[in-house]
Amino acid sequence: MKNAGATVEEKIDSASNGWQGPTGRRTDEWSECLTQIAATGDRAAFTRFFRHFAPLIKAFALSGSSLSAAHADELVQEVMLKAWQKASAFNPEKAAASTWVYTIARNCRTDMFRRLQKFDTPLAADDFMPDQEPSEPFAMLQSRRSRDTIHELMGTLPPDQAQILAKVYMEGKSHAEAAAELDLPLGTVKSRVRLAIQKLQIQIDR
Amino acid sequence: MAKFHPSVDLLTEYVAGILPLAQSACISAHLNYCPQCQQQSARLQDLGAVLFESLTPVPVGDALLNTVLARLDEEPPLSYRRAQDPAVGRLPALLQRLMKGDFSELSWNKITSSLSISYLKTGDTAYEFALYHIKAGGRIPEHTHRGSEMTLVLQGGFSDAAGSYHEGDFLFREASDTHAPTALQSEDCICLAVLDAPLRFTGWKYRWMNPFLQLRAG
Ligand SMILES: [Zn+2]
Repeated sequence: MKNAGATVEEKIDSASNGWQGPTGRRTDEWSECLTQIAATGDRAAFTRFFRHFAPLIKAFALSGSSLSAAHADELVQEVMLKAWQKASAFNPEKAAASTWVYTIARNCRTDMFRRLQKFDTPLAADDFMPDQEPSEPFAMLQSRRSRDTIHELMGTLPPDQAQILAKVYMEGKSHAEAAAELDLPLGTVKSRVRLAIQKLQIQIDR
Repeated sequence: MAKFHPSVDLLTEYVAGILPLAQSACISAHLNYCPQCQQQSARLQDLGAVLFESLTPVPVGDALLNTVLARLDEEPPLSYRRAQDPAVGRLPALLQRLMKGDFSELSWNKITSSLSISYLKTGDTAYEFALYHIKAGGRIPEHTHRGSEMTLVLQGGFSDAAGSYHEGDFLFREASDTHAPTALQSEDCICLAVLDAPLRFTGWKYRWMNPFLQLRAG
């Protein structure tokens, strides 16, 4: 995670990984790439897509060292094959390519955990997605704004809050597990998550 | 539209994919009734994507790329079909899948004259995932929980000392809250309840049943 003090080198480095400012030009590059894969089954485009996202998926698989290297490679394969198969379901108006890939990676990782724990369930992680997603243009615009805002504000989070978010989202630790690991009271973990969510302006009125 | 929602804490754990399967299924079912929580989840998911993009990439060799390229022919791209007509059946697809039929086809265990329970199999061995059918105006005897209880109203509604709840409303109670829900007078109420410890009736009249109320997880 890059924090407020990221050096120029780090910024250049992350830009070369496709992590750019709020206008997100490079992010659009991946959406176009995905659209191209969907339209023509373009393998060259798929190869570029793979070279960009596979290392992130592998990092995601290995964070929290919950999966072995072999399982991490298996996850990369699964996610990439799913992306190939489902490319035509990708709607660039609704989501950025990276959000789409992240969702697939998260679902595949959850399924893999359950498989490894020999869970005997009729449900796959994909079944947990709501039957319909919001489709009004307003909701889509909101979503794009929210992403840009999160992107922008991420660097302003205090390290202790950023650390908890990484534990929960990337390492897949529950609030209780994160608390045990960091030797903090559960309430502290919960309040750090809540504070981070407030700072990133993610919370909406319900 | 739903008035009672899961907390942001719960939604965060749901979106991050770390809630136990049975609880996750209950939240997912609520989202089908609740555009606000869907929108909140979408934002929490954006956060996940931003964190994902900021991971330090771990190199992946060309061997793996070639393996995947070789498998592309086995996995022809799907021509994507739109989600089913939302008007068909009001129950969330995930629940329909677990029920394998409608309410009348389930096997119901009669607990009291106004309460019957049907247990659904999710594969989560730590949580009981069950439908509660309360007759119109019927009451669930006052009880307490040693664990947590998630409730989602699927049909009709009920009330307790804290308020009244209708279709799509979601409630989460921690251990040791005591309550005695009563179904609304107008129609039978069906709720989904996810428990990690059995109910305990507190009134003298039903206390004898406690030993029989074992957790039916799985
Ligand atoms: Zn809601």
